[in-house]
Formats: sequence, structure tokens, C-alpha cells
Amino acid sequence: MRNNIKVERAKNDMTQAKLAELAEVSRQTINAMELSKYVPSTVLALKLAKIFGRDVQELFELEDKDWK
Amino acid sequence: MNYLFPHQYKKIGLMALIPSVILGVVVIITDFAPEFLDIKIDFVLSANPFTKSTNNLLNEILGILVILSGVVVAFSKEKVEDEFIEKIRLESLVWSVYVNYALLFLAMVILYDFDFLFFMTFNMFTLLIFFIVKFNWRISKLKKTSFDEK
Repeated sequence: MRNNIKVERAKNDMTQAKLAELAEVSRQTINAMELSKYVPSTVLALKLAKIFGRDVQELFELEDKDWK
Repeated sequence: MNYLFPHQYKKIGLMALIPSVILGVVVIITDFAPEFLDIKIDFVLSANPFTKSTNNLLNEILGILVILSGVVVAFSKEKVEDEFIEKIRLESLVWSVYVNYALLFLAMVILYDFDFLFFMTFNMFTLLIFFIVKFNWRISKLKKTSFDEK
């Protein structure tokens, strides 16, 4: 799954720590998501979308390899 | 996640766990048994007619300490609990079970009688210990790698 979290973060001039605080998760979680090492839960994905004022689909994109 | 202790308990638990484990290993290997901890067993809850009538409490005390402090240290919350930590905790736990039973499997095949019993005395506690080490190792690696801010 592709994600645009880092891009959106940069657009909003936000540090990982700040985003983590707003999304109520640890900074490691934000970092892991940006590195595609962790797929967030639905709730967390929705929270991130809300924080950036964007649609969830704009933040996350399915890739072919997500289908087994 | 349910069933976890508050984060503050971890340090307290560690202060009890580390000396208990060290002492425990020493006691198992050296059979150290201070006399003041000897007790007579009046009520024998055992099927074995040859049960000793006295028992030294040191190994019981240490075993209980390791179990209690080990459980607390293993399952205390992290400072910031979230879904990612949950995933790491689960993966570490699965890993620990695999490793623990792999060792047990080997021991069953290679060790017998008293050697096997000697191994089992450790194996009772290694699941917890493996988990504590693996989980905290992964967490500390995470904390180190995520220093590329911005």
C-alpha cells in the first residue's frame, strides 16, 4: 500500500512528533507508516485523513501486491 | 490492549526481576540453601511416599519472585501504547513461544533424567525471559531508527 503521509506532513510543515501527538499514537508508528513498514488501522487512517483535511483515498492507495 | 500493567510497574518489576534471576541461576547451579530458610513439611500434598520432610524455601521464594516480577515486566504498558506496539508485542510473543518450544523439543531429544530436569528448571521461566528480551530489543531498535525526523 502506498501512502502520502510524508508529503502531506511536509505540505503542512509538521514534524513526525507533532503528527503523532495529533493522531494520538507514538512517533515510531508515524515513522513506520511512512516507511511502509506498518499498515494503520481504519480508525488511524481516518484520523490522519481528518488531520490533513483530505480524503482517506488521497492518503492511501492500494497496490497490486496488496492482492494475494 | 487489555490485561496490561501500568507503565510505572515496569521499573519496579525490573528491580525485583534482575536480582531474582541472577540469584536463581546461582542457586540452581550451586544448590545454595541457607539454613534459616529450612522448613519442616507437616502436611504433605504428594503422591510420593518418599517426599522429604524438610524443604528449603529459597528456591520457592526466588521462583515466585521471578514469576511475579517477570510477568509484570513483560506485560507492562509502554509509555505510549498504540496499535503498532500491540503488533510488535504479539509478534514478539509468538517468536518467544517458537524459540522456547524449539529448545524444549531439542532438550527432549538430547537430554534425559536429571539433565532434562536441570534444563526444565530453567525452561519454566525462559518463555517470559525470551519475550522480555525480544520485545524490548525491537522497541529499542525502533527508537534508534526513527531519528530521521522531518
